[in-house]
Amino acid sequence: MNCVELQNSLAEVEDGSTVEQRAHLMECPSCTTLVKELDLIIAAAGRLQGADEPSPRVWNSLEMALRQEGLIRPKRAGWGSAFSSSFSARWGAARWLVPAAAMLLLAVGIYVRRPFASNPSARQSSAIMPAVKSSELNDDDLIQEVTENTPAMKSQYEDSLRRVNESIQEAQGFVDESPNDQDARRSLMDAYHQKSMLFEMAMDHPLP
Amino acid sequence: MSAAGKGDLTEPRQRQNTDLSEAEAIERAKLGDAEAFQALYDKHKRRVYSLCLRMLANTAEAEDLTQEAFLQLYRKIGTFRGESAFSTWLHRLSVNVVLMHLRKKSLPLVSLEETTQGTEEDSPKKDFGADDVALAGSIDRLQLQRAVDSLPPGYRMIFVLHDVEGYEHNEIAKIAGCSIGNSKSQLHKARMKLRDLLKANRAEKAGKSRAG
Repeated sequence: MNCVELQNSLAEVEDGSTVEQRAHLMECPSCTTLVKELDLIIAAAGRLQGADEPSPRVWNSLEMALRQEGLIRPKRAGWGSAFSSSFSARWGAARWLVPAAAMLLLAVGIYVRRPFASNPSARQSSAIMPAVKSSELNDDDLIQEVTENTPAMKSQYEDSLRRVNESIQEAQGFVDESPNDQDARRSLMDAYHQKSMLFEMAMDHPLP
Repeated sequence: MSAAGKGDLTEPRQRQNTDLSEAEAIERAKLGDAEAFQALYDKHKRRVYSLCLRMLANTAEAEDLTQEAFLQLYRKIGTFRGESAFSTWLHRLSVNVVLMHLRKKSLPLVSLEETTQGTEEDSPKKDFGADDVALAGSIDRLQLQRAVDSLPPGYRMIFVLHDVEGYEHNEIAKIAGCSIGNSKSQLHKARMKLRDLLKANRAEKAGKSRAG
């Protein structure tokens, strides 16, 4: 066996352990070095498995897609806690919200944290809430932005926007039904968070 | 975003989900539980993303396909009966997602058979005098990553599946639609090419340090 034959044979038996390979390696330092170097590469390759971390954006987009497809289902009883823990974790990633979304979130946040039980006019104040409509997040501006920058994504964003507005309405319904239910209040906040995430994605990174 | 920044965002979520066993998470995900989906994602995201990134050598595409792989997984999770390991199922699915993507881009999965004939460039080198820089000691992970990224897509795919992900040649042959001999040949050529790239990189560094 010569050097070329040895190299070719390594495709079949990579460790150079056949009788013919060993005989050649005994007398050929270059091929011995080659086998050792290939072993080093094989050993190092294993360290590439799971070596990289995806951006938090991947989960954000995935979660949004799961909600759009109805694969994540909100729980009626105590549903708000699962909904909110997921979104409160995600909220950390949303550093660059459009001002309109941030301002509306602030307004909603103040509203949902107000203690209804100790406030005799709680029922009255709930009437304020419908005035804070999701449309104040300038849905038209969002779609306009997408139309200008990523027209191919327009229908996806319209669909996402419709669904998130439905979530807000649904959560609002729970708050109206049970004004003292903290889970329901958190869920409403989370629904607005979801909307703000949509705005963030539109401004920063189109839906896949 | 810095590595530290990423850690700040993801670590609390991982801690929150550690109480959930994989079997429990799968059952809860079947019921549409958001936390369960996230727990499964947190557990497997690095391996799936790294697989996509190594095979595609493109961060944006790797992110998109990671999302696609998990989305497909979650769509089918109701059919998972636990006959095989969940991770095996997920990684096979991820590989299929990447291969579909490569096929759509007409990247050289299809030319594997042709390349087994070998070109002059691929043929074993007879001039061993060129190997004057030894690959002694351990190989730096980042250097190897860069070298893998610069491999031709067909070589890269076989190398990643076999040497990084641990697939056997018969599995790769089935996945990639080539013969077992072809898979072995491609892998050997990929390793030889990597060796050349790593040596060239070391020689360049050595030259720079001598000049400096």
